[in-house]
Formats: sequence, structure tokens, C-alpha cells
Amino acid sequence: MVGKVEPVNGNVKSGSNQSTPAATQAATLKSDLLNSLSLKSLKLKTKQQELLIRVSILCLVYVLAFMTRLFSVLRYESMIHEFDPYFNYRTTLFLTQKGFYEFWNWFDYESWYPLGRIVGGTLYPGLMVTAAIIYWVLRFLRFAVHIREVCVLTAPFFASNTTLVAYFFGKEIWDSGAGLVAAALIAICPGYISRSVAGSYDNEGVAIFALLLTFYLFVKAVNTGSLAWALASAFGYFYMVSAWGGYVFIINLIPLYVLVLLITGRYSMRLYVAYNCMYVVGMLLAMQIRFVGFQHVQSGEHMAAMGVFFLMQVFYFLDWVKHLLSDTKLFQAFLRITVTCAVGVGAIALGVGTASGYISPWTGRFYSLLDPTYAKDHIPIIASVSEHQPTAWSSFMFDFHILLFLFPAGLYFCFKRLTDATIFIVMYGLTSMYFAGVMVRLILVATPAVCLISAIAVSATIKNLTLLVRAKNKAVSSGSSRGTSSAKGSSKGLIDHSQPFQRNGAIVLLLGAFYLLSKYATHCTWVTSEAYSSPSIVLSARGAHGNRIIFDDYREAYFWLRQNTPPDAKVMSWWDYGYQITAMGNRTVIVDNNTWNNTHIATVGRAMSSYEDEAFEIMRSLDVDYVLVVFGGVTGYSSDDINKFLWMVRIGGGVFPVIKEPDYLVNGEYRVDKGAAPKMLNCLMYKLSYYRFGELTTEYGKPPGYDRARGVEIGNKDIKLEYLEEAFTTSNWIVRIYKVKPPNNRW
Amino acid sequence: MRPKSENQNLSTTSSSSISDAPSSTSIDPIFLILRILPFSFLRPPRLRLKIPTFTLPSPMTVYALVLLTYFMVVSGIVYDVIVEPPGIGSTQDRVTGSVRPVVFLPGRVNGQYIIEGLSSGFMFVMGGIGIVLMDLALDRNRAKSVKLSYASAGITSVVIAYMMSMLFIRIKIPAYLR
Repeated sequence: MVGKVEPVNGNVKSGSNQSTPAATQAATLKSDLLNSLSLKSLKLKTKQQELLIRVSILCLVYVLAFMTRLFSVLRYESMIHEFDPYFNYRTTLFLTQKGFYEFWNWFDYESWYPLGRIVGGTLYPGLMVTAAIIYWVLRFLRFAVHIREVCVLTAPFFASNTTLVAYFFGKEIWDSGAGLVAAALIAICPGYISRSVAGSYDNEGVAIFALLLTFYLFVKAVNTGSLAWALASAFGYFYMVSAWGGYVFIINLIPLYVLVLLITGRYSMRLYVAYNCMYVVGMLLAMQIRFVGFQHVQSGEHMAAMGVFFLMQVFYFLDWVKHLLSDTKLFQAFLRITVTCAVGVGAIALGVGTASGYISPWTGRFYSLLDPTYAKDHIPIIASVSEHQPTAWSSFMFDFHILLFLFPAGLYFCFKRLTDATIFIVMYGLTSMYFAGVMVRLILVATPAVCLISAIAVSATIKNLTLLVRAKNKAVSSGSSRGTSSAKGSSKGLIDHSQPFQRNGAIVLLLGAFYLLSKYATHCTWVTSEAYSSPSIVLSARGAHGNRIIFDDYREAYFWLRQNTPPDAKVMSWWDYGYQITAMGNRTVIVDNNTWNNTHIATVGRAMSSYEDEAFEIMRSLDVDYVLVVFGGVTGYSSDDINKFLWMVRIGGGVFPVIKEPDYLVNGEYRVDKGAAPKMLNCLMYKLSYYRFGELTTEYGKPPGYDRARGVEIGNKDIKLEYLEEAFTTSNWIVRIYKVKPPNNRW
Repeated sequence: MRPKSENQNLSTTSSSSISDAPSSTSIDPIFLILRILPFSFLRPPRLRLKIPTFTLPSPMTVYALVLLTYFMVVSGIVYDVIVEPPGIGSTQDRVTGSVRPVVFLPGRVNGQYIIEGLSSGFMFVMGGIGIVLMDLALDRNRAKSVKLSYASAGITSVVIAYMMSMLFIRIKIPAYLR
């Protein structure tokens, strides 16, 4: 490039040699600077200019995707958010300290006392191994980072990588313009940001990258029919299986896609090679993860893939027979017999497998996606998680904004130009939107599909409009005498004598489209900043004068536990806080967020909802030393244990019929004031939350003992604890820790 | 090899076998029994029936169905079925005591009444159809008046849908964009 600049400079120098030397030098310096800065003097060809623009857009999008996720790091500090990431952080710490073999064989005795947990066999290792590899690479390059910083920033890094994959995917489906728009949309889409902010060190941050990569590689394999791309997609699938339990979506969507291609008559050798290679190699690789094990051949959720695999073999066989036979009527009869036999044999095999119990039925978590009313009636633990609630329209609007308009338009463009790749993206979009409607958390899985389809709509619309704007110039310059140009003009629907009106109209519409996209960017940044950047472990509120007050009670309580309790103390709390207590407080817990043992959780729920003496018996049997409750009455914090109490009753009552939910309600209403049920006023949870609260004045003008979260004055203010004593209450009364007293001496 | 030789054998006898395949040379016992028992004295009527063949619908038909399901999902129909909110909320005026309807469920992002969900879903679909109409206005060899009406309908649909959606979200979440 520099070589091309010099001749221009040389010409300028030679031309100005006749004037005075000082002015000449200044003039030449200025023109040198201008020439080196302007793009035209670089004498790039159009293709190179386009490549430069594309690469610079992708670089900007990459940096943007990383930057927009850093709000909470800048506002608070670099820490891990929420509940689940604390377990992931603890396991990553263990991995980097002890090595891979210790990690793989780790039996954790600090959680689920007295049962323990086989960590190596019950987690998805992809996230931890990824963060550990990044940490080791940085250490090898002599950057002395702490593993916590790597964990905090893993999710934004992978979000940036996802935008690159989205660009290539968009290029595969439509064209490079759609790919660029898709990368830009997915970089700031709130549906993805919500689970991949800096600090949210959870499986989904890495899994969405793996999901999109697997889909891109598979579509590339179907388009090219190359064995290399199919193998690459199998390895992408392996990465996805190691990262997240949502891999079941891939192993069901791809067979469904293959089935749709077969039905619409798009069977081809490329599809055969791609699906067979991906299924067989992917299945073998997936069995390397201990948590998954042999589920690919034993579980009902994976049987669709196997069925389609056999169907593909039948199609190949029929194709071969058709190639050998030359009599079409005989072939039709053969076709009917073979298809009937194959479907019959498959149905019989499925029936025998299900009846004999070898093929396990769909697990509750995935069955509730197909039948959403199932969890509400049968599995209260799944129904109680707030992320598992069905989606209302405002959640869609919050997470997608104008993509909700562009999605149906993009579907129209895809249906207009049906290829193997567009059929895939349509199916991905529709199935993921249905699942997003069933569960709020799954909006995350729908986000890449919605962004890609919307990018197709944006790209196609803007192309149409710019063609209108630019084709006008051609028609004006060539005049109406040339037949070819006017024919080209009319094929786009243009009529010559209304040129300026249509051109101005197209310019106005282009400005409107850019206005809408800028409103999208504003909305996304506002949502990220206000709604999705809170660490959940540090609460903040606006004070009386508008200043921000920070409540750091959780970490205060966990640090107190770490410093002031014996190292082998056992802490009982509701399962929400288990991971945080083990990671930050470094103490053994009874139940934690893994929720794998419903009876153990029900035992804790029963203890919380019984009278103090019955609860003491249960706590003695579990060797509990400390009890931790979360209370929001002083601050107005609404996600405390009293608001979650009914779920404890339901889960406990599901296993122990002694606990009946109507005992705690008055006329079907849940109250904590004077008119509350007597069992409610004397249960352990009530006593532990409101101990000494009756003496506290929380709000000006209200009586002492006014609960700000419920908005009522509590009913039982004079609480006496017989078997427990108060150990610690945090500065804003959010976390309260009680010590279980040893039993009295007999004589 | 075997299929080819069978083919050659069958091609010679194919004309005769296929022409009277249903009747005399059948070896199916149930068919023979049926021929004797009811159908020796009952005469089946001559009907022109065809086995229904399965034809794939056109892409635009499928697109219309897809748009309908999209409308239902985005209106929050699964939320309506599971949580069973009322069609429209109500609040009681403190001063006069009359019951006033409340269209938008206040206070939460993930909650709705049925009618508010349906109207928002309709706005989204209208916006999508507006963009489709704009594309239809550009890409066809149609009469100019038809193209003009498509274009204007498309533009007004998009504008109205966007403004109404913004209005809805501002009513529902008062702190929006502030």
C-alpha cells in the first residue's frame, strides 16, 4: 500500500518544485498527510474495499459484544453473580489447583450432608475445562491473572466469538450482508446478554457458542456434502454435550430437520453423508462425558435421532434398488412394502424397548416442555423456579424489541427462497420460539435464530430499497431509448415518469429503517444497564435523596460463617443458597442448588415448617449446627424465605403428608399478620425470621414490627426460642444465622 | 444380478399379470373367501374412488399457518393456559367505589392478562405483515395502483405497529427508558 502512495507524492513534489522552498515543504507535508489518510489514494479495488469494510465491521462488532456486557464489573467489582456460577467457580478452582484427574474423580463431602455428591459424574465439564485452559494459556504467556478474573470474563469472550459464528452462519444461509447484520444484532440482543454478562459464569455462556457452531457446521456439511465439515460438526456437538444439558435440543432438532427434508423430497447424497457422520461420531464422542453416559441409546429423548438414522439407511437402500430396477410399477410396490415394514419394525422395537424398561421415558424437565401443565401438577420443584415460568408478551418485547417485527418478515423471505439452509433456520426459529413461549429461560436458545431470521429481513429490505435508490441513477443516465435498461427497470417494478417520487420515498424509508435500528440499539443498552447487570448477591436501591445504597449482606454473612464457625460445622438453609455457602463460607451444607434428591430437600422443608421441637429432632438427626434464613422485612427485599415459604410447604408436603398446605393459609390467603393461621405463627421459619423483630421500628409512622416486604405488622411479636440461639444478623437484617443448641444434660 | 433377471422374467408376464391382477390369479386366501361369501350374491357398485395421495402444500400456505402459530405463541398463550389470568383486570376506585377495568398487569415484567397479550401479539404480526407488503409492492409486475396501495398499507402498518408497541410497553413498565 505504501508503494502505491509514493508516485502521487512524487508527482506533487515535482510539480511544486518551482515555488519557494518553505511554502513548498508545508504544502507537500499537508498533501502527504491527506493522501495517506484518504482511502482512494490507496488505490484499492472494489473487492478489497469491500473486504476492508467487512473486516472492520466485524472487529467493531466483536469489541461491542464484549464491552456491553461489562456494566456490573464497572459498577460494583469483578465478582461472580447469582447462585449456580458459584458452584462452577468452586469446581474450576479445584480443577486448576489439583489437576484434571483429581477433578474427574472428585467426591464432594461438603454438600448434601450426609450423602455427599460425586462431582465428577454429575456435572457438565465443558465450561470448567474451557476456563481452565484459558487460565493456563495466559499463565504460560506469563500474565499473572487470578482464576476468578478468567471466570468472570469467560462469558463475554464467548459472546464475542458467537458473533463471528453468526456472521459465517448468515453468510451460509443468505449472503454476507445478512451475516454482518446478524452479527451486529446478536452482539447486543438482550435475550443473550441476560445469561452472558461478565460475572455470570454459567454453562449457557459457553453453550450458546457451541450450539451455534454445531448448527453452522452441520448446515455447511449439508450444503457441501463434505466429510470434513460433517466431522467438524460432530466435534462441535461433542463440545455442546460437554457444556450444557440443553444438547437434547440439538439431538432432536437435527433429526427433525432431516425428516422434513426427506418429506419435502430433498434427499441427496450430501444429506446422507452429513447426517450419518455427524450422528455416529457425535454419539460416540458424547458417550465420553460421564454425566451423559449411555443415554444416547437408552433414553427416550434420544430415540428420534436413532429412528431417523435408520430411516436414512432405508432411503439409501430404496435409492439403490431404484437405480438397479428399471420397472417403475414394481418399484412402487417394493417401495410401499419396504416403507411399511421398516416403520413397523421400528415401532415394534420402540415398543419392546419402552415396555422392557431399557429405554427410559422422557425425564420430567424435558417432558414439561411438551406438556407445560405437567410440572405444575406433579413436580413442584421444577414449577417453583422463577425462570421456568411461561413467558408473557412483555418478556418477549423486553428481550427482542423490533426483532419481533422482523421475525415474521424474515420467515417470509425464507419461504420465498427455499433451500436446504433456509429450511433449517426456519425450523430452528419456529421450534425455539415455541419453547421460549413455554419457559422464560429458553428465550436464550431462541435468540440466535431470531437474530439470524431478522437479519435476513433487514438485509433483503435494505437491498430492495437501495436498489430503488441506485437504479434510478442508471435509468436517468441511459434514458428511455435503450430497451435493455428500461426492461431491467420495469422488472424491479419501476416506472420512469415517477422517478423522483420513488427515489425520495426509498430514501425516506431507508432513513426510517436506520431509525428503527438505532432505537433497537438504545433499547438494548438500556435493558442491559438496568435489568440484566445486577449481581443478585449485592443488592442496590435508591436512597431518599436519589443516591445509590448498596446492601452487601450476603457476603457479610458468608464471611462471618467462614471466620467464626468450626471448620466441620454443618449449615442448614433453603436450597437456593447452598452453592454460595459452600463456595464463600466454606462450610458443609445439607441441600444445595443441584436439587438432585427431592426427599432430602423435603426433609429440610419439613423442618422449616414444623414447630420448634419437631424441627429440633429433624435437625439433630441431620447433625445440623447452624441454620441460615434470609429475611427481607427491614429492607423490603421481596425474594426472602418468607415469600418462598409456601414452596417449602408444598415440597415438604409432597413427601411427608404430615405437612398440609391449608394449615398455613387463612381462607386460601397467605398472611403473616394477626389474622394468620396459628401453625404459621409458630413454625420454625416464622420464629427464625421475626425473632426480635417486634422491637424494631422499620418505617416512620408505622408500629414496631412492621414488615416492609409484606406491608403488614406481624402477628406474633413475642418470640422465644428454646432449642436455637441467635448467632449473627447482618447489618440490614437480610441474612440471619442461628446456632442449634446441644441437647440438655439428662440429669 | 437377481433383481435384473427377475425384471426380465416379469417384464414378459407383466402385461398379463397387471391387467387382470385383481381377479383370477390371486393366491390371497382371504380374498378368495370374500369372493365366495358375501360377494357371490352382493354386487359391489362401480365407484370412481382414488386412494388419497399426499401432496405437499405450497410454501405460502405453510407460511400463513406459521404466522398464525407465531401470533399465538408471542401473545403468551402458554402463560394464559398455565397461570390462568383473568381476561382483564379490575381495580376499585377508592373515592367513588366503582369498579374500573385495568388492561395491563402492573408491577411485573413477566405477567399479563389475556387481552393485553393478544393485542400486543396482533401488533407484532401487523408489523411483520407490513414489511411483507412493502416487499410485495417492490418485487412484482403488477398494476401501479396495486403496488402503490401495497406500499402505503405496508408503511402505515409498520409505523402503527411500532408506535403502539412502544405505547404498550410504556404503559406496562412506567420506568421504561428513563
